[in-house]
Amino acid sequence: MTMTTAHAHTLDIINLNIALPRGQRLLRNVSLQLEPGEVRALVGESGAGKSMIGKAVLGILPHRIKRTEGEILLEGAHLNAMTPATRRSTVAKMSALIPQDPLTALNPVRKIGPQITDPLTRIHGWSHQRALARARELLDRVHIRAPDRVMHSYPHELSGGMRQRILIAAAFAPSPRLIVADEPTTALDVTVQKQILRLIRELQRETGTAVLFVTHDMGVVAKISQKVTVLFAGRVIEDAATRTVFENPAHPYTQALIAATPTPNVSAEPFQPVPAALITELHRETLAADALYAQRGRR
Amino acid sequence: MLLKTVFVRLLTTAITLFGVAIVVFVLVRVAPGNPIAMMLPPGATEKDIAALNAVYGFDKSLAEQFIIWLGGVLHGDFGTSITLRQPVAELVLGRLPATLELSSIALLLAVALGGCVAVIGARKRGTGTEVGLDLTSGAVLSVPDFLWGLIFVLVFGVLWPVLSISGRVDPRIDIDFTTNFYIFEGLLRGRLDVVGSTLSHMLMPAMSLALPLAAMIAQLLKQNLKEALTQDYTTLARVRGFSETAVILREALRNAALPTLALVGVQFTFLIGGTVIVERLFAFEGLGNMAIDAVINRDLPLIQGIVLLFAALFTVINLLVDLSYTFLNPRLRHG
Ligand SMILES: Nc1ncnc2c1ncn2[C@@H]1O[C@H](COP(=O)(O)OP(=O)(O)OP(=O)(O)O)[C@@H](O)[C@H]1O
Ligand SMILES: [Mg+2]
Repeated sequence: MTMTTAHAHTLDIINLNIALPRGQRLLRNVSLQLEPGEVRALVGESGAGKSMIGKAVLGILPHRIKRTEGEILLEGAHLNAMTPATRRSTVAKMSALIPQDPLTALNPVRKIGPQITDPLTRIHGWSHQRALARARELLDRVHIRAPDRVMHSYPHELSGGMRQRILIAAAFAPSPRLIVADEPTTALDVTVQKQILRLIRELQRETGTAVLFVTHDMGVVAKISQKVTVLFAGRVIEDAATRTVFENPAHPYTQALIAATPTPNVSAEPFQPVPAALITELHRETLAADALYAQRGRR
Repeated sequence: MLLKTVFVRLLTTAITLFGVAIVVFVLVRVAPGNPIAMMLPPGATEKDIAALNAVYGFDKSLAEQFIIWLGGVLHGDFGTSITLRQPVAELVLGRLPATLELSSIALLLAVALGGCVAVIGARKRGTGTEVGLDLTSGAVLSVPDFLWGLIFVLVFGVLWPVLSISGRVDPRIDIDFTTNFYIFEGLLRGRLDVVGSTLSHMLMPAMSLALPLAAMIAQLLKQNLKEALTQDYTTLARVRGFSETAVILREALRNAALPTLALVGVQFTFLIGGTVIVERLFAFEGLGNMAIDAVINRDLPLIQGIVLLFAALFTVINLLVDLSYTFLNPRLRHG
């Protein structure tokens, strides 16, 4: 069951549907793949379901929100076929999360060091020395100057940017195959955002970890990803190589998203919001898809 | 930083105790009932009473009496008990260990019991188990400590007499300890017979005192745990592969304990207040039991001594709670 084949995708989401208890769908027939070492951006407006995809993969869907259909495979292993405990340890060993808000993602009453090394020793079964050495190595890699002092600090003693670098170090520490980065820069100062983005990109290239990068910033998409999935109301609108999407977007919504992105070098172009007619059309499509889905379910 | 906090607290403690001393001093004297008249045979004349009053100094003005008493207190002399004819300080300190041990054991029971129920409730949140635990702790909370005492006396003393329901220790045991801390000194000396007998005598009064507090801890701690379990750092711990129980114990518990601790501090002083009646109920030879006798007999020096000691105890406990709060919360420790 946990068999992996050489040519398996790192992440394979097939026809995933996530719904509220009453059946209201939050993800609608979502499919996407990540190849080893690939960065895939997940874009879409607020509420489109970007975070929900990451949560479904990592097994942290909010209470009452359930998968109703579809498969998630990590390196060819069917997550949904596993017992909760097996699934938890499989996901933990293969993947990691870089959270959105570094201010709330570290435990305020625990020192930094154990927060990095605990998963390595307790979940990955490393020795304490090995975990400590790895933590130092990665803290150093994310440009933290005095790793040992920082590991003895509490989160409130460190800046937001520093905490996010620590969380990045912690995510890369166990050498995961997949990292989900859910808007890892939105909670930070603009000046810090660029550093953090560069750091994630560098570490990703060095380690060859596949990254599912959630963002609503097309500028970030262009910088970091090789592939893009565009979501609207929990539906995949477009899925293509990043270059293709920017040069020749297939869907008018994607075109509108790109047009709506302020680009410093093309400052002559005025800011263009997504046209209302297009939004209306997308909503109509969503409703039609839901009607079809309900009809198929009844049969 | 910490030293300054302690110093300020000790100073305010001293002022508080002084205020308590004045209030108690005045109250016990204006309250109805004349202790001296109660000590003389029924046919005593006004002259007899006045003479005995003068012996105890009750003929002087209130202010004069207070200054004399305070002067003694500053030298460690809290006066002499009218009914027991022994120094108040000796009597009170002789009984203090019993009450301290009883309330500490009760606190331990309450924290252990309430903590376990809270953790289980948080682990099973959203299920019938949580609802059941909530209902149970709500019911337990609505019964006050002395009623629990009566229930225990009825059940384990009368209907199914398996536990001793009176006294502090089996009187047949020979105890030649230097202090009255039977459990503490018994453990140090390896006298497990004394420890065992004391604990078995203590079980019911301690449970009576512990149950309402346990229920309160269970409810509040569970609420705080559930709150912590929605925080991002607990989500991250789940992603990192920790089981829900591990997340509760390793990540959420310390965060949830902080707001709970403030309540436990306040409630612990109430628990000690509860020893007065509960000790009486179980004929437990502690400070509370002595307090009731002192009040019945209008033993003014003894009442003063006991109340002052209780007040001192409460302020010390509040200080300890504040210090442990600072210790548990890294943001306060450095900031
Ligand atoms: N706990 C929840 N209960 C019910 N609905 C939820 C819950 N969390 C999210 N949703 C709904 O699920 C949908 C997708 O949410 P999601 O968080 O994935 O959006 P997103 O694309 O990440 O948006 P954002 O850019 O604002 O983070 C939204 O419509 C949201 O209202
Ligand atoms: Mg989101």
